[in-house]
Amino acid sequence: MSEASVTVMNLPRRDAQDKLRGRTKYTNDRARPDMLHAVLLRSTVPAGRIVRLDVSPALAWPGVRAVATGADAPGLYGIGIADHPLMAIDTIRYHGEPIAVVAAETEEQARAALAAIILEIEPLAPVLTMAEALEPGARLIHEDWRGYEVITEGGARAGNIAWEAKSSRGDVDAAFARSDVRIVESSFSVGRQSHVPFEPRVAIGSWEDGRAHIQTSTQVPWTVRNVTGRVMQLPPGRVRVTVPPVGGGFGLKFDASIEPITALLARMTGRPVMLENTRQEEMATCLCRENAEIRIRSAVTAEGEIVGREAVVLMDCGAYGGEQVFLTTMTAHTLGGNYRVGATRLVSRAVYTNTPPNGAFRACNGVYNTFALERHTDEICDFLGLDPMEFRKKNVLGDGDFGPTGQVFEDDVLAPMLDRMETLRAKTGTLERKADGRLYGMATTVGTWFVFTGPSAATVNLNADGSATLVTSGVEIGSGTMMQSLPQIVAGQLGLAPHQVIVREADTDAAGLDVGVGGGRTTVSIGAASVAACAEVKEKLLRAAGEMLQTRPEDLVLRDGRAEISGRPGSGATIPAVVAHAQATTGPITGSGAFTAKNTPAMAGCAMGHFIDALDIPVFVVHEAEVAVDPDTGHVEVLAYRVVQDVGRALNPRAIMGQIQGGVVQGLGYALHEEVTITTDGRIAQNDFETYRLPLAGDVVPVAADLYEGAPSLGPLGAKGAGEVPILAVGAAIACAVSRAIGKPVRQLPLTPPRVLGLLHDREPQPDFPHIASGWAANTLG
Amino acid sequence: MTVTFRLNGEDYRFRDDPMTPLIDILRQERFLTGTKAVCREGFCGACTVHVDGDAVPSCLKPVGLLEGCEVVTIEGLSAGNQVLHPLQAAFEAADAVQCGMCFPGMVMSLLAFMRDNPDASRDDIKAAMVGNICRCTGYERIVDTVADCLAQQRQTAKVAGGADV
Amino acid sequence: MAQSVERSFTVAGSIDEALAARLQGAVVLAGGTWLLRDPLRGVELPEAVVAVHRIPSLSEVIVEADRIVIGAGVTHEALGKALRGIAGFEAVVCAAESAANPGIRRVATIGGNLCSIDFPAADLAPALLACGAAVELETTSGPKRIDIPSLLNDRPGLLDQSILTKILLRRDLIASAHIRLPLRKAGDYPVAIVSLALDQDRRCRIAVGSVEPVARRWTVLEQAFAAEPGGFPRVPERAEALASEHNDFDGRDGTEADGWYRRQVLPVLIKRGVAALLESEGLA
Repeated sequence: MSEASVTVMNLPRRDAQDKLRGRTKYTNDRARPDMLHAVLLRSTVPAGRIVRLDVSPALAWPGVRAVATGADAPGLYGIGIADHPLMAIDTIRYHGEPIAVVAAETEEQARAALAAIILEIEPLAPVLTMAEALEPGARLIHEDWRGYEVITEGGARAGNIAWEAKSSRGDVDAAFARSDVRIVESSFSVGRQSHVPFEPRVAIGSWEDGRAHIQTSTQVPWTVRNVTGRVMQLPPGRVRVTVPPVGGGFGLKFDASIEPITALLARMTGRPVMLENTRQEEMATCLCRENAEIRIRSAVTAEGEIVGREAVVLMDCGAYGGEQVFLTTMTAHTLGGNYRVGATRLVSRAVYTNTPPNGAFRACNGVYNTFALERHTDEICDFLGLDPMEFRKKNVLGDGDFGPTGQVFEDDVLAPMLDRMETLRAKTGTLERKADGRLYGMATTVGTWFVFTGPSAATVNLNADGSATLVTSGVEIGSGTMMQSLPQIVAGQLGLAPHQVIVREADTDAAGLDVGVGGGRTTVSIGAASVAACAEVKEKLLRAAGEMLQTRPEDLVLRDGRAEISGRPGSGATIPAVVAHAQATTGPITGSGAFTAKNTPAMAGCAMGHFIDALDIPVFVVHEAEVAVDPDTGHVEVLAYRVVQDVGRALNPRAIMGQIQGGVVQGLGYALHEEVTITTDGRIAQNDFETYRLPLAGDVVPVAADLYEGAPSLGPLGAKGAGEVPILAVGAAIACAVSRAIGKPVRQLPLTPPRVLGLLHDREPQPDFPHIASGWAANTLG
Repeated sequence: MTVTFRLNGEDYRFRDDPMTPLIDILRQERFLTGTKAVCREGFCGACTVHVDGDAVPSCLKPVGLLEGCEVVTIEGLSAGNQVLHPLQAAFEAADAVQCGMCFPGMVMSLLAFMRDNPDASRDDIKAAMVGNICRCTGYERIVDTVADCLAQQRQTAKVAGGADV
Repeated sequence: MAQSVERSFTVAGSIDEALAARLQGAVVLAGGTWLLRDPLRGVELPEAVVAVHRIPSLSEVIVEADRIVIGAGVTHEALGKALRGIAGFEAVVCAAESAANPGIRRVATIGGNLCSIDFPAADLAPALLACGAAVELETTSGPKRIDIPSLLNDRPGLLDQSILTKILLRRDLIASAHIRLPLRKAGDYPVAIVSLALDQDRRCRIAVGSVEPVARRWTVLEQAFAAEPGGFPRVPERAEALASEHNDFDGRDGTEADGWYRRQVLPVLIKRGVAALLESEGLA
C-alpha cells in the first residue's frame, strides 16, 4: 500500500461540530468571574514626547488592581532589529500606541480609571508618508536607531530606513544599454489591507509558580513566549504559552503585540488578567499588509526576451520595523519571480512612518509585487504589441532558470500550469455574455510564492488503546491543518485511522520550538517533523512486534491498526497488544522528530540583507479573472474566477478547495473593496465594518480550481502549503482584467468604484514617486 | 430595572441597566459564548439570535425591549449530545467550517431564512447572507450547502405529502 | 456591559405616556439599531430612555383606499411586506427591503430611519420624499402634520417637543422607483440614492439621499422634467441629460466616497430610475 493511498482523503474536520454548536471556546470566550479586565490607554496623536505621565490617580479608582506603563516592561523587541517597546516609553510614534494599561475587576472600572491618568504629550509634526520620511533632513522617527540591538545581521539601515534588502545578478546597466531593447517603466501604489479576524487579538495572562502563563489567540506561541521574555526581561523559559482554537489570523497574529501585557499585570496582581482589543482598537492598530510603492523598469527585446530588470520597492513599516524588516526579503522572490530575466537588480526598503505598525498578511508582499509585476508585464506586451498569454508562456520560469538571487529553479511548473488553465477555461467556458453591455475584460496572471520552512518539532506518543497523541506547537487558526493534514499524515505513517490521532493544542511547555503557523508551512514543516517522529515510533513498534511475534521487524508492516507480516493481511498483532508488550518490556513508545529549512543556496554576492536567500520550496499559481465594469459608476463585477495552483501533492483536496475559495475572496476584497487610508492626524480612517468593506456573499463567485500536482517539494509525500497562496495573484488578475476592460493602465489598488470611475474619466492621478530617484543605485544605501 | 424573558426555554430575570445589549448578558452573565461579539454594530451577524422566532443581531438589542420575549441562542438549538440540526450536519459534512466564529450566527440567520423561504434560489440565499460576514470561507460552500438542504427539505416534504409517490 | 443603575427607562404604553417622557428629556428608543452604536463612538447612552415598542398603533400599517398610514415603529421588514404589490409605492418597498441587511431590517424602524439626524444615507428618507409623504407628530397641543422636508430640515427643534407617530402616504401615485448605489452589491450604506415617483397627473417628484448631509428634493430637475412633452421624459437617456444639466448637488466627502463621486453618479441613477418607472406596473 502506498503512503499516498492511506494518507490522501477528504477528511472532514473534527472541530466542526463544536464550532457549529457554539461550544468551541476561543480565547475571548474564556472570561471567568475571577478575572481582571485590562484596558489600554492609547495615544491620540501620531507623534510626540511624553512630558508627564502620572498613573497614581487611576490606582485610586474603585476596582483597580494595577496600572502599568512602558517603564514596567522596558525591553525592546522586533524582527531583525529590536526597536519596539511594549508600551511607549518617552516617545509616541503612532496614533493608537499603548501608553499605559489598567487592570480592574470590570472593564467599565478599568475604562473609568483610564480617564484619570494624567498624561501630557508635547506633540511633534508627524511623518505620515514614506515620501516625507525619505526627504533629506526628515525628522528621525527613531532618533537612536543606531543604538538598537541588531537581532539579525546583514541589512543596511539608516535613519528612517528601518531595513534594506538588495539582490543583484548580472550586468543590468549593460542590459539596459543594449541597442536592441526597448525600455518599459511602470509605477504602482497600493494601500494597506486589514485582516479582520473575527476573534481580535486577545490574551489571558496568569502568574503560576513564578512563571507567566499566557493563553492567547496567536499563530506563533514561541514568538509570544520570546517577546514576553524580552520585554519583561525574563528568561523566555519562564513564560508558558498555550493556544486555544484561534478565530482567524491571516498573518495578523504572526507577531506578538498585546499578549505580554497580560503577563505583566498578572505578575503585579497575582490574578488572571484578560486583555482584548475592541473591534475599533483592533482595526485602528491592525498590523496590516503594508502600503507600498513600486517602480519597475525592464529592458525587453522586440521578440519579447527580458534581458534586464530593475526595481525599487518601498514598504511602509509604520512606527516600528516588525515583519516588514523580514519581508524586504520577499521582493527578490516575488517581484523577481514569475519570469526568466537576464540581469536583475532589486532593492526593497522598509521605511518608518508615524503610522500604526504594519505586519504580515497572507502571502505578504507577494500580493502587491505580483500585482505590480503582472500589470508591468501587460504594459510591456502593450508597448511591444505582444500577446500577453504568449509572452507569459514564453517567459515564465522553468527548469534551470535563475532567480534574482541566483537560485536555480527546478522543473517546468508554470508553463504546464498555463496550459492547464487553458484546459480549465475550455471546460468552464467564459462569461462575457454576462457583462450585459458593460465593459468586459479577462486576464491570466501568474505568481510565485514559497513555503516558509524553518524549525518545527513533533512528538508522537503511541497509547495502549491504539491511539497516537501528536504533540507540536502547531495552532489551529481555521485553515484545518491541525484537524486534517496532520492527523492524516500521522495516521498514514502508523497504519491508524485519522480519528485515532489525538492532536494536542499548542503548549510551549509540552512541545518543541516552532516558528509558527504562516507562510503555508504547517503541513510541510510540522508534517515533516511528524513523519520523522512517526519513523521512531514505527521502529520501536516493529521491534516490539518482532519480539512478540518472533519475526524480523523488516518483515512487518503497520496497516489497519495492526503490525502485520508483510503480504498477510490480518496476521500479526493489534497495535494495542504491541504497545502493551512494549510498555511492559521496554517502556512506552514515543518518537520525536524535527525539521528545518534546507537553506537552498543563492549565488554568492547576489543577496544582501536577506533573511531567506533562496526558496526551499517555491509555489506557483496561475489565476484568471473575468470582469465587467460599469462605465457609469465604476463598479467592477467579477463574472468568473479560475485558479490553477501548484500544491505538490493534495493531501485533502476538498480542504484545499476551501482554502482557494476563501483566499481568492480575501484577494477580491484587497483588489476591489478593502481600503485603508490614513487621516491627516495619522489614524486609520476605517476602524469599523461600516467603512472597511469586506466582501459579502453577493460580491463573490464560485472559484473554479485545478490542483496541479507533481512539482518538487520537500514536504511530506511531496505536499506544499496550500492555504496561503490562493490570495497571491488575485490583485494582479483583477487589475489586469479591469485594465483591459477600461482600456487604461491600472496602477493602484483597491479598484473601488470611485477609483475606477476616476480612471475612466482621467481624473485619477497615476502614481508618481519623486522620492524614488531615477538612478537605481541612488535608492540604495550602497 | 428587572426584565424577564425566556432564554433557551427557561425563564431568565435580568436586574440591571435595561440598555444593556442582549449579547453582553448572553456572554458575560450566562456564559453562552456561542453568540459571538465581532463588530457589535449589526454588520457581521455573528451575534445573531432568535427573538420570538426572528433572526436579529443581539448586539443592538437593549434588554429592556425583551420583556416577555422568547430568546433562543445557538446553544438552545441542541442540548447535550443531541444530533445536529440538518443544516449544521450538512455544514460539517461539506467541510464548510474554517475558523468557525461566524457559523453560530450564520446558522441562526439561515435557519430562520430556510423556515420562511423554502423555495429560495441561490441568489435569494446570498441576499439573506448580506448581514452575515465570513472572513475565511469565501461563502460559496455555505451557499451550496443551504441550497442542498433546501432541496432535501422540499424532497422530504414532497414525499411526505405523497405528491411524488 | 453598560451600567448605570440610575438610568431611567420607561416602557410607554401609550403615545401620551411617551410624549410626557420625551418632554422630560427622555430619548425615544424604537428598534435601537442606531442608538446602540453610540458607545462604540465614544458617545454615552442617554440617561433617560422611553421605549415605544409597546404602543400598538405605532406598529400598524393601515392601507386605505386613498391613503396609507404607517406607524413610526413599523420595521423595515414589516413595511416592505405590507406595501409589496401596491402599485405606486415601489420606491418605499425597495428602500425598506434593501436598506442595511436583513437582520437590521427586522429591527430598525421607519421612525428611527427618519429621526436619526446624523445618518445621511437613510434609504427611506428620499423614498418618502419622492412619494410626497407627510408625517404626524404628537405634541402637547395634539397631533401636528407636516411634510417630510419640514421634518428632515428641523429635526432637532421638532423632535425635542414631540414624538413622530405616523407616516402618511396619499395613494395618488402611479409608479415610483428607488435606485441606490452601495459600493458593494449590498450591505453598505449607499453613497448616493435617487428616488422618483410619478403621480396621477404625471408629475414627477425626485429626491436624492446620501449625496448631501440631508436628503432633499431635486426641484430644478423636477421642473426640467415638467417642461418635457407629456410632463416627464419618456427616454431614460433624456432624463440623464437633464440631470447632468441641472446637477445642483454639492456632494459630501466621506470615508467611503468623495463628494465628486456622489455628484457624478446622479445622472446615471436618474436614467436608471426613469427606466424603472417606465417598466413599472403603473406605466407599462
